[in-house]
Amino acid sequence: MNRVARRLVDSPEGVAGLCLLVLLAAMALAAPLLYPGDPLAIVGRPLTAPFTDAGLPLGTDRLGRDVLAGLMHGARASLLVGLATALVALTAGALVGTLAGLAGGLVDEALMRVVDAFQIVPAFLLALAFVSVAGASLSVIVFAIALGAWTGPARLARAEVLSIRERDYVAAARVIGMHPAEIALREVLPNALPPVLALTAVIVATAVLVEAALSFLGLGDPNVVTWGSMIAEGRNVLRTAPHLSIVPGLGLVATVLGVYLLGEGLANAMAAREGRG
Amino acid sequence: MHRALILTRRRIVSSIPVLLIVIVGTFLLLESAPGDAVDAYLVSLGGGDAGLVTELRQSYGLDQSPFKRLTLYVSALARFDLGWSVAFDRPVLGLIVERLPNTLWLMGAATALAFSLGSLLGIVAGARPGSLTDRALSIGSLALYAVPSFWLGLVLVLVFAVDLRWFPTAGIETIASGKTGLARVADIAWHLALPVSALGFIYLALFLRMMRTGMAEAWRQDFVLFARAKGLARRRIVLRHVARNALLPLVTMLGLQAAAMLGGSVVVESVFAIPGFGRLAHEAVAGRDAPLLTGIIIVSAVLVIVVNLMVDIAYAALDPRVGSGEASS
Amino acid sequence: MAVLPISRRKLLLSTGALAATGWMSRAAWAEDTPSGGRLVVAADSEPRTLNPAIVASNGVFFIASKVIEPLAEAMMDGEGGLAPRLATSWEGSEDGLSITFKLREGVTWHDGEPFTSADVAYSAMQVWKPLQNLGRVVFANLDTVEAPDAHTAIFRFSAPTPIQLVRNALPVVTSVLPKHLYEGTDIAANPANKALVGTGPFKFAEHRPGEYYRLTRNDAYWGEGLPKLDEIVFRVLPDRAAAASALEAGEIHLAAFSQVPLVDLERIAKVPGLKVVTEGYEALTYQLVVEINHRNEILADRNVRQAISHAIDRDFVVDTVFLGYAQAATGPVPQNAPQFYNPDVPAHPFDVERANALLDEAGYPRGGDGIRFSLRLLPAPFFSETRQFGDYLRQALGKVGIDVTLVNNDTPAHLKAVYTDHDFDIAVGSPVFRGDPAISTTILVQSGIPDGVPFSNQGGYANAELDTIIDQAAETIDTEARTALYNDFQRMVVDDLPLINVAEWGFTTVASDTVLNVGNNPRWPVSNWADTALTS
Repeated sequence: MNRVARRLVDSPEGVAGLCLLVLLAAMALAAPLLYPGDPLAIVGRPLTAPFTDAGLPLGTDRLGRDVLAGLMHGARASLLVGLATALVALTAGALVGTLAGLAGGLVDEALMRVVDAFQIVPAFLLALAFVSVAGASLSVIVFAIALGAWTGPARLARAEVLSIRERDYVAAARVIGMHPAEIALREVLPNALPPVLALTAVIVATAVLVEAALSFLGLGDPNVVTWGSMIAEGRNVLRTAPHLSIVPGLGLVATVLGVYLLGEGLANAMAAREGRG
Repeated sequence: MHRALILTRRRIVSSIPVLLIVIVGTFLLLESAPGDAVDAYLVSLGGGDAGLVTELRQSYGLDQSPFKRLTLYVSALARFDLGWSVAFDRPVLGLIVERLPNTLWLMGAATALAFSLGSLLGIVAGARPGSLTDRALSIGSLALYAVPSFWLGLVLVLVFAVDLRWFPTAGIETIASGKTGLARVADIAWHLALPVSALGFIYLALFLRMMRTGMAEAWRQDFVLFARAKGLARRRIVLRHVARNALLPLVTMLGLQAAAMLGGSVVVESVFAIPGFGRLAHEAVAGRDAPLLTGIIIVSAVLVIVVNLMVDIAYAALDPRVGSGEASS
Repeated sequence: MAVLPISRRKLLLSTGALAATGWMSRAAWAEDTPSGGRLVVAADSEPRTLNPAIVASNGVFFIASKVIEPLAEAMMDGEGGLAPRLATSWEGSEDGLSITFKLREGVTWHDGEPFTSADVAYSAMQVWKPLQNLGRVVFANLDTVEAPDAHTAIFRFSAPTPIQLVRNALPVVTSVLPKHLYEGTDIAANPANKALVGTGPFKFAEHRPGEYYRLTRNDAYWGEGLPKLDEIVFRVLPDRAAAASALEAGEIHLAAFSQVPLVDLERIAKVPGLKVVTEGYEALTYQLVVEINHRNEILADRNVRQAISHAIDRDFVVDTVFLGYAQAATGPVPQNAPQFYNPDVPAHPFDVERANALLDEAGYPRGGDGIRFSLRLLPAPFFSETRQFGDYLRQALGKVGIDVTLVNNDTPAHLKAVYTDHDFDIAVGSPVFRGDPAISTTILVQSGIPDGVPFSNQGGYANAELDTIIDQAAETIDTEARTALYNDFQRMVVDDLPLINVAEWGFTTVASDTVLNVGNNPRWPVSNWADTALTS
């Protein structure tokens, strides 16, 4: 694993991605320290231009809320949405995939048809319908986006499990009488997991973007600032105050870029290890 | 051709249980929704008394039990009857048939744009992996991918429609123009230029990166090394050997992206006021129109299945190594 | 030609002045204005049914009012605020048991059939009274409609019905349908609900779903020299930014009902060739209110409600949420309803200290974290202003120690939560004032309304005294006595605060300079546009 890390640090993509994400994480972590209050609090004159007031470096929005405070707290919420979605989707996907792969037969068939059903329904439609029905709160939004994201991991996990369960060490475990559940958890899952984890980057990036699109359609959580909600609100004043949507937009670009670059760096580093190993 | 037929039949059979799961799932989801079609309708009325509310619920059959409504719906569906839209007060099938072509045009053109431009730029980037051009293209396309489609759409409208006035701001064709034939096709194309760009540019990155990765791998393969050893021109190697091999996975990608694009069209169609399928879906959700939303989801599922089938057939034709057995998911 | 945006406050002051200085009469305009042309207008939604006799709502009227006419229309300086349309005169009997309408002669339906009193009788008895959302209230006691001749209709009521109410409701509830197309059919499913047939200045031509509605000139219209336009196209533009872009690009001529967001108005007023018009919404006032669930025992305390009212800075709301295009409210009847408005009510000015004191007094001291209690706030999703006010209210109540959680629902879910399930503590609502308290305001505070009736008192508030006044007013025929009852009503509502009125707003229209006669009556966007014209 160490070698992978070193290789990662050697590749320019990996370094750039890592830097971006560390910066964003720092912003997210520092938000409650630098801006301990509610980022939705009305603190100044509405639509103060950026760089005109030292106390409000990025100005204020339509209701007089601090844009910089929103940006930093938004980093927190947006990254949280991304990571939580990835966690839910990967856990659900890995479990279903492993179960299907290990059980085989009718269970496998049934589970994979469910996976198919989720896969052929456009993920955004599913998220839209689910959030409309369950009400827009951050946890519902995470769950809704995960609904469309868990099928990829499930398929991949199943494929991995199918190839792993024929391998010698699994056969050996079976011979010494290990319980199937124990085999699954001890032997199969840990080996099937790494390729599945590689999907994290795509899921995080997609989740952040889907949250923005839901906010655009008026289905965001009003108690939380996210970059998506800032962009959606800022678009009404795109002509008069373009920074209101561009600033959080840059945050979004930085996140997606960071996640993808890091993902790519990691993939390269791991490929290199396998290639040599 | 025989292989394609087997593949098709196999797919149709395996799709039936999947579609059933989709139908029941959609029905259950809307059943658990707070507020029904009558609630949604009452807002447009600006209110009404209790008698009116009860009468409306009765007339839409919303006072019946959920199970009864589901069985009624599924049995009607078996007769290819998609039911009656509450929000539009019209048959669902008619609505879908009316809206689907617009979305197919939008998706088709956006896919074509993303695929052709993406693979082209991917070839440029992959021709010299690690070069400055490669890095710039890679990061630039990713940045585009990170832009929310509604925002990109709005900016395109402001620049190219409001300021430059090259394209119209919204709509699918000039209103009541009476244009026919080729003139109408040109008119629709002119209207679709901006929405297609907004949707296509976002997916460009995916094709570009896939092409690039594929090419980077191909460079390391034996036959390419052999070609290089033979001293073939670099340009020839890039196009003949490297790019050609890298193209195949992109075809698979086309199928995978069909569902995503259909979802993306919801937002783009709202921004550009295109009377398409995605916008219809949004209206169905907002109107709690269960028959319409279920119809939309079924049709889009069928659409995705068909696109994937076509991709698999194309793949099988392109790559003789793939047999019909392997291609089924 | 560009008209500068006038703030609502200024506008309300000047409405009277306009009448005094002689607002150019319709006839004068008809002489000078050019004819012909196609007017393209932004529409933000497509109503499910277009029939204004069944669905009396602004969304339907916006399109249908050009095709189907009411008996009378609202007017800035007309007698009693009304201009005759299909009726030329109306008179109520002293006992309040009958009203006689004289109908216009020489009017034909778009299909060539003559318009007669039979059409009015049919519409009233078969549609307005049993089917229409508002007609069910206004015509609740309507017994029969007699038609002694082809151009007289006598409405007979089983219980006294105030002529004041009927008069105020005329523009909204009396869209006349052609009997010969509806009789003997299932009214709700009649194809004429979509392809309208009326007597108005424009005929319904086509509807391309998701794209546009097209209306064409009715050459046989009864108004001489009218209409001016050849065609009106309502272009469907669901996104709020789309209307502004399309206006600037010259693709549409007009966007009404504030389809151009308020924040964009200042900029767009400066765009050459476009004007912002605030007139034309005087009889279409929307009210911003805080709805209260009185089942919550904290909120059942009048002191707490009063504290909430004191915590709201109404001027901030008007200036920031509405950017000046609104007016702070003083009570349940808006100020531009001079017939009923009572300024003599208790005031609840913005006063954080007083709010805090009231809450302390009510027995809710601040806890260690500065919080007295928590509430769930459901802002109505109908307008961006209602949502933004929700954002503001959360902050404003936070300052007096009330912790507020916003619950964001889409439209059907909001209706279900507030009006059927009562699953809220406070909500932001936007009722419409329709010219008479009996068809717009009393329902918000009256008790005994069944669950599930939207935009009504679902907060569990019950005040016997108030109910008595409402019942009395419903059957008081004498206009003065009835008005006096509504004055008491307003005082009691503001005193006891079953709900909190925050602001009142009309909308704005943005139009190209080439469009003439914009906003020249108090229900302009939902009137017939016969005199609207385009200069080339």
